[in-house]
Amino acid sequence: MELLGDLVVFISDILPDFKSWGIQNATLAMFAAMVFFLLTGMPLAFVSLLVALIFALGWFGPNSVTLISSRIFTFVNSFVFISVPMFVLMASILDRSGIARDLFDGMRLVGGKLRGGVAIQTLFVAVIMAAMSGIMGGEVVLLGLMALPQMLRLGYDRKLAIGVCCAGGALGTMIPPSIVLIVYGLTANVSIGELFTASFVPGLMLASFYVIYVLIRSYLNHDLAPIANYDDVDRAEAFRLLKGLILPLMVVVFVLGSIYGGIASVSEASAVGVLGVTISTIIRREFSFGMMFGAARHTLATVGMIIWIGIGASALVGVFSLMGGIRFIEQIIIGFSDSSTVIVLLMMGILFILGMFLDWVGIALLTMPIFVPIIIKLGLDPVWFGVVFCMNMQVSFLSPPFGPAAFFLKSVAPSDISLGEIFSSLLPFIFMQIIALALLIAFPGITLR
Amino acid sequence: MSDDATKRDDKVEPIPEAAFLGVVIGKVSDFFALMIWVAAIILVTEVFLRYVFNAPTIWGHETVVFIIACSFIFGGLLVATRDRHIRVVIIYDILPPKARRMMNIFISFSCFLSTLLFSWAIWIAVKRAIFTPQGDFRVERSGSAFNAPYPGLLRVFLFVVMLLLTLQFLILTINYFRKKD
Repeated sequence: MELLGDLVVFISDILPDFKSWGIQNATLAMFAAMVFFLLTGMPLAFVSLLVALIFALGWFGPNSVTLISSRIFTFVNSFVFISVPMFVLMASILDRSGIARDLFDGMRLVGGKLRGGVAIQTLFVAVIMAAMSGIMGGEVVLLGLMALPQMLRLGYDRKLAIGVCCAGGALGTMIPPSIVLIVYGLTANVSIGELFTASFVPGLMLASFYVIYVLIRSYLNHDLAPIANYDDVDRAEAFRLLKGLILPLMVVVFVLGSIYGGIASVSEASAVGVLGVTISTIIRREFSFGMMFGAARHTLATVGMIIWIGIGASALVGVFSLMGGIRFIEQIIIGFSDSSTVIVLLMMGILFILGMFLDWVGIALLTMPIFVPIIIKLGLDPVWFGVVFCMNMQVSFLSPPFGPAAFFLKSVAPSDISLGEIFSSLLPFIFMQIIALALLIAFPGITLR
Repeated sequence: MSDDATKRDDKVEPIPEAAFLGVVIGKVSDFFALMIWVAAIILVTEVFLRYVFNAPTIWGHETVVFIIACSFIFGGLLVATRDRHIRVVIIYDILPPKARRMMNIFISFSCFLSTLLFSWAIWIAVKRAIFTPQGDFRVERSGSAFNAPYPGLLRVFLFVVMLLLTLQFLILTINYFRKKD
């Protein structure tokens, strides 16, 4: 360790004295370093750790590194963060159980004899599943496995079917509980219960846009979505399936209800959610220790990925803020315009661009420590902004070239569906997301606050 | 690219270049997966004790935070052995195999450097957490009613994981270097 200490001192000696460059050039250099390392394909978590270290050593010298490590301890040691693995675990169990499939088959009753019925059924299932899970990958895959083949078989327009699966699956992070909102709440220091309450109507609004779009298109052009004819036997079967879903649905109502009602903390509610889903699998005779263990393993890897990006980001943001960089950026953004709407739009532009290349976790943890203080300074509501951010990330899930929803769907779609076709199918849905985002910015009252 | 709920790869194998360490970490990770369940069970018990019997424990919350924090930290190590950390592969993916090998060496070495230097940063924190300024052994405690030594232990744990990550990235660098396709 002594040797390593000497190495650190040596490195900080050979690094240029960033302080003498001034904050403007140092910020540019930091940004350039981030972009360079990211483009090599180095993992985001370690890129931000490395850049944080280089600048801490070059700007302040070796003594500053303890500051970074203490920020990391504070970051991993928070009680609210416990809800992240719990919600991921809950979603992993749901993905592994037959609950989603029964839900899909049972929800036939909704689509019924409507044109585009199966697409609407898919969207309803997507909303209900979104209320049970806070992540989106699993949902897109489940819809891609259940709904997509059925729509294609019935002769639905391919693009419509693909779009419904991706956009519907992405709703997982828009409708509470949502991991995106939890991470935002932690970085912005606002109540996660309030975020969940505020995102409910905007989430449903977006989902209803999708439903209206499907209805309009399938009634205007009858070739897009033929009517599926279910007979009465199917109907009875659907009723039977829905009965098996009463318990899982009650879990949702109970978990979200106790958060909204302020009865339990988000972390406690998430653990009760895990219990509820587990009991559901026992009653449905699907429970096995192997399945539960697999879900936990999956959870471990998922949170490991999310939290390490957070560890890197909190180190980087810590160093940057100590350098005075956050104040510097704040001045630039606030000086950009007198109108707070223009500033919010500028932020949206930045988020859109970042969203094309970076993952939402990285975006939230790197930009929100800068944006949220500005929002508060402008006299805007940070809870509303959280919902705006979440809506913006909806776009990033679908937008080319790296929209993760498209990749998730591609991994389970029939092989003749290309990525290009998926992305082009998503364009109208991205358009609707942008409309929803614009409405949310123009009328903050949609969040019911 | 994102939260990978998709691939049902609960048993995803470590990448071959991670060598024996990847395999060992995979085995140990089973313990931490189990600990997530332990944390969930403690939390649920705590909810019952609080809302039904109005008698919450003094150790519940602290212990759960500690367990989960350890799982968070270990999760990152596990993901590193499987090369599943989120990264931007726009350029990486279009490179020919030879250039990709160079890139792998560069990436692993940069990661090695960053975790190596970080181990030192954490070591300073660990020294403070387990020794008094006079040099006597004393593990930092939480200072609550339960007063567990969790803060000290967590620092030590993060230090150990950092060292393992450093070792893993060193092994990766060497193995990518040796592998000539």
